[in-house]
Amino acid sequence: MNRTWLVIKHEYLKHVKKKRFILAIMSLPFFILLMVAIGFLSVIFQYDNTPVGYIDRSGILENSIDYQAEAPIGFMKPIDFIRYTDESEAELALNNNNIQAFYVIDENFMETREIKVIANEVPDSSINSEFYTFFKLNVLKDLPATISDRVMEGASFEIKSTAEQKSANEDNVLVFILPFLAGFLFIMAVNISAGYLLQAVVEEKENRTMEIMITSISPTQLMTAKVIGNLSVGLTQLVVWILFGIIGISSLFRLFPDLQSTKIDFSFLLLTIMVFIQAFVMIAAMMAALGATTTETREAQQIAGIFTIPMVLPYWFMQVLMEKPNSPLAIFFSLFPFTAPVSLPMRAAFSSIPAWQIIITITLLILFAIAALWFAGRAFRLGMLRYGKKLSLKEIFTQRP
Amino acid sequence: MNTIEVNNISKTFGSQTALDQVTFEVKPGEIFGLLGPNGAGKTTCIRIVLDIFKPDSGSVKIFGNGMSEGKKDQIGYLPEERGLYQDIKLEECLNYLASLKGLSSNESHKRINEYLVRFNLDEHKKKKVKELSKGMQQKAQLITTLVHDPKLIIIDEPFSALDPVNTQMVKDILREQRDLGKTIVMCTHQMQQVEELCDRLVLINQGKSVLYGTLSEVRKTYAGHAIHIRTEDQIPNSLPGMKEIKRLENHHLYQVDLDPEVSPQDFLKLLVAANINIDQFEIASPTLDEIFIQVVTESGMKYE
Repeated sequence: MNRTWLVIKHEYLKHVKKKRFILAIMSLPFFILLMVAIGFLSVIFQYDNTPVGYIDRSGILENSIDYQAEAPIGFMKPIDFIRYTDESEAELALNNNNIQAFYVIDENFMETREIKVIANEVPDSSINSEFYTFFKLNVLKDLPATISDRVMEGASFEIKSTAEQKSANEDNVLVFILPFLAGFLFIMAVNISAGYLLQAVVEEKENRTMEIMITSISPTQLMTAKVIGNLSVGLTQLVVWILFGIIGISSLFRLFPDLQSTKIDFSFLLLTIMVFIQAFVMIAAMMAALGATTTETREAQQIAGIFTIPMVLPYWFMQVLMEKPNSPLAIFFSLFPFTAPVSLPMRAAFSSIPAWQIIITITLLILFAIAALWFAGRAFRLGMLRYGKKLSLKEIFTQRP
Repeated sequence: MNTIEVNNISKTFGSQTALDQVTFEVKPGEIFGLLGPNGAGKTTCIRIVLDIFKPDSGSVKIFGNGMSEGKKDQIGYLPEERGLYQDIKLEECLNYLASLKGLSSNESHKRINEYLVRFNLDEHKKKKVKELSKGMQQKAQLITTLVHDPKLIIIDEPFSALDPVNTQMVKDILREQRDLGKTIVMCTHQMQQVEELCDRLVLINQGKSVLYGTLSEVRKTYAGHAIHIRTEDQIPNSLPGMKEIKRLENHHLYQVDLDPEVSPQDFLKLLVAANINIDQFEIASPTLDEIFIQVVTESGMKYE
């Protein structure tokens, strides 16, 4: 069997077979589930399905249209609206806990737009808004249905950049979420894989196994195998998370059927993948080089943090990227190899990027990736047997192995 | 064909010269000693032989020509920096390293089990490497060095962490390997082991080769015209033919340097005639230790 393959297998299984890895893989979906569960539970505990009462002095709710209030979560009992004619009667009901609050609509509501809420405890804002929806429906009941429906539903905003054909619909949530999510996943993938890789290279030094290894296989084989093996570990983790994500999103679609109308642009995905692969190789190679020049895992991890900062930088300037996707800052971010993987998809979602910019970005990334690989190879060959002393930049460029 | 031919190799790291024009040959089937004080350049020399470093000038031939990936399977190397993967089981670690030397899974399991039994490591094979003592790890590493039945064995300080029992066992193994026709290069500064095991040697000091030849040649070169005498009587400060006398220990042991024309036999007669009671009389043959110290201090080693 090919030796490179043996090392890849060893590096891969070493991590994947560990309990720690399985825990790490399960912890993210578990954490998300926990957050969702806590969210649901807090809604369930906060939600009070006791009916609310109302006293209508304006006459708007005479012969009211029925409105079925919406509960925050499907299976919960929606609140009822009970009509009272007399304030003391409503107060009695309130004191007996038959209702949680009652609304008193002012006689001259049309002028004063005043609704009084009387309650022992402040009712949840969702109850106020449910009541107001019921009320609004009745205010509009004399208008033609087409008009009242429009007013009730509100407008659908479509964002369009002036020059190009690109448009983003506010209803199409995925357009906003996707570049954000893709960038986030990319940073996660890079951090996880690079972490494994860094550890794998430094470990070889900490265990003093480098000499044994390179008298069995060539340094190039060793480096290649380490890179592939450990990136695969990171990718495995990512794929599992994406699978969980798909399960999560499809169940989200089932809960909120409105989202189903959204669709994902294929060319957008292609562009994202093109940028991600080069950037992934570039950063992985840099991590490997870093591992070869430093002597301890902890020290290496601290330096590795520096790589993450330019990658997350575009998130801080997200507003600029979204609102002015063709501003000089946005263009710079999408060209600069370290910020490109997050910025380019984000810009691409909100405007169409000229082809020359895409070409420059990808070319720059490829050049950087090649340079990083060359650099890593040199650093590895020179630094692999340095145990106490760090390798300096100058040495990497000037010394012969 | 020589197993190793090192031809005028030099290597500098920055401003530091690690090796300066070193030349030696290792012949098939011998145990060759590569000696030198700490920091002399032994390890650098071995790393160049193994193609881990490239020499600045000079050349190295292994089995007749340059190093190749295929030849790596015929070499067993025990590095000075001991290293095994600490976080996996001993058995797994050894099998992995053996597979990288081209052994099939079956073959490596079989051979490793034999060695584990022989090295008394059998009951520890399910333990993680980091749970083993330093001596056990060194024995385990020796398994990695030998398991693929290499033609050339290069070992750097093989006895450093071993107790006397294990030292003896390793010596036996080295002799056994030589009898099987293997070539062994042993890198050390423990002269006793060299005297016991090595056929030929090279001594490197401050990057230069200062002594090279068979053990007996080297001894002869440095044998002075001296005798050791143990007596409780006082030896007169001047006797005919005696160049210098010095007391070696507190226990009445003296070293006497003789004039070249006086034989030890004549000098003994002289002592008997002078009525000196002699407990011990022997020709002083220098130990390798003494030669080592003499050569190294002559060539101006600084104590760092």
